[in-house]
Amino acid sequence: MARLEDIPQPTRDAVANLPCRSFDTHPFVAGPPLAQRRVAILTSSALIRRGDPPFPFGSGEARFIPATTPAGEQLVSHVSINFDRSGFQRDRNVVFPLDRLNELATQGVIGGVADTHYTVMGSTDPAAMLGSVSQIAGQLQQERIDAVLLTPV
Amino acid sequence: MLESRGVPCVAIGAVRVQMEKTQPPRGLFVPFQLGRPLGEPENVAFQQRVLLQALGLLERTDGPVILEDFPDDPPGWLDTHGWVPPSLPDFGTPADPASWRVGFTAELDALQPVWERARARFGRSTVGLSRVARTEWPALAAAFVNGELPIVAGHDTAALALRFLCDDIKAFYGEAGQADGPAPASRQLDAWFWRGTLAGRLLVALRTAAMASGNNAMKTVGGRFFVPAPWLPG
Repeated sequence: MARLEDIPQPTRDAVANLPCRSFDTHPFVAGPPLAQRRVAILTSSALIRRGDPPFPFGSGEARFIPATTPAGEQLVSHVSINFDRSGFQRDRNVVFPLDRLNELATQGVIGGVADTHYTVMGSTDPAAMLGSVSQIAGQLQQERIDAVLLTPV
Repeated sequence: MLESRGVPCVAIGAVRVQMEKTQPPRGLFVPFQLGRPLGEPENVAFQQRVLLQALGLLERTDGPVILEDFPDDPPGWLDTHGWVPPSLPDFGTPADPASWRVGFTAELDALQPVWERARARFGRSTVGLSRVARTEWPALAAAFVNGELPIVAGHDTAALALRFLCDDIKAFYGEAGQADGPAPASRQLDAWFWRGTLAGRLLVALRTAAMASGNNAMKTVGGRFFVPAPWLPG
């Protein structure tokens, strides 16, 4: 698994020693009960639509994923070769759990699922993503989304 | 960063030490393989459990930093007894670009019907990043082995074209390896691809050629993004 001791070297040391940005403040926003919230996914897998250009190396861009995008049109273009792709090959939900969220919405566990989801390339320096954060936040507010699920690879 | 814009967030994370450093407002540590934040493909119940625990953190009020652990390993971590990799002839290790082209063509042709079963089984394929037809892969790969830097439509550099060709080759074999029977553990698939196929040896040969290239982008991309470190020879 991804218990650190199970990751092969040299990836293990790279992961353990990866510089991570720390924050001076810790915002914490409350919200309504889960059954009233609309949820969006933000995946760091650099998910693209077939035919679109892959994420460039080091890109801080964000791309919007319409909820109607068919699973067969989605490809992982992340630069890293140190994570498993075979799970995604069988089932996109292991990275991008849209079908699972739709089921929870049908069951009434969550209030709904966003019309738009989001992807970035996780290995990029977060400082390069500030503009993308603003773009994503703007779209979230426009769609009145009050929960975001982050699924890093 | 989204939380500071007023949107409640919850992160699933597979590396606990990173979550401890970044301190997200709500984090669920999952002891899963990198690349599988929901844990287990095609296991709806398991994925729902992960989701429910993660989303449940959104209703907690004891922030500003909440970090929980998911309790269970995914069942697919262990090797799958009964999984058998696709049967392929032994094409050896070709000695020159022309032989790589011939051998790789033969192996792809042998695997094509298996891959088609996988595509039918899963209803989709993740091959496509290279934008090169499967039938053109052997000639393109042979050119790169030969030290050439062919231009490929849709890619800015030869280095990126080769990078995504390698991704497509791995996807094609990864899907073919899951065409029949129970799901293999990913390390079983990796062992088959890197040690049991000509394509695995081809990617190592492409890395060697890229590292010897006078093109710096090719050298960098080839050295870091073709062959994972555990599968480098020697």
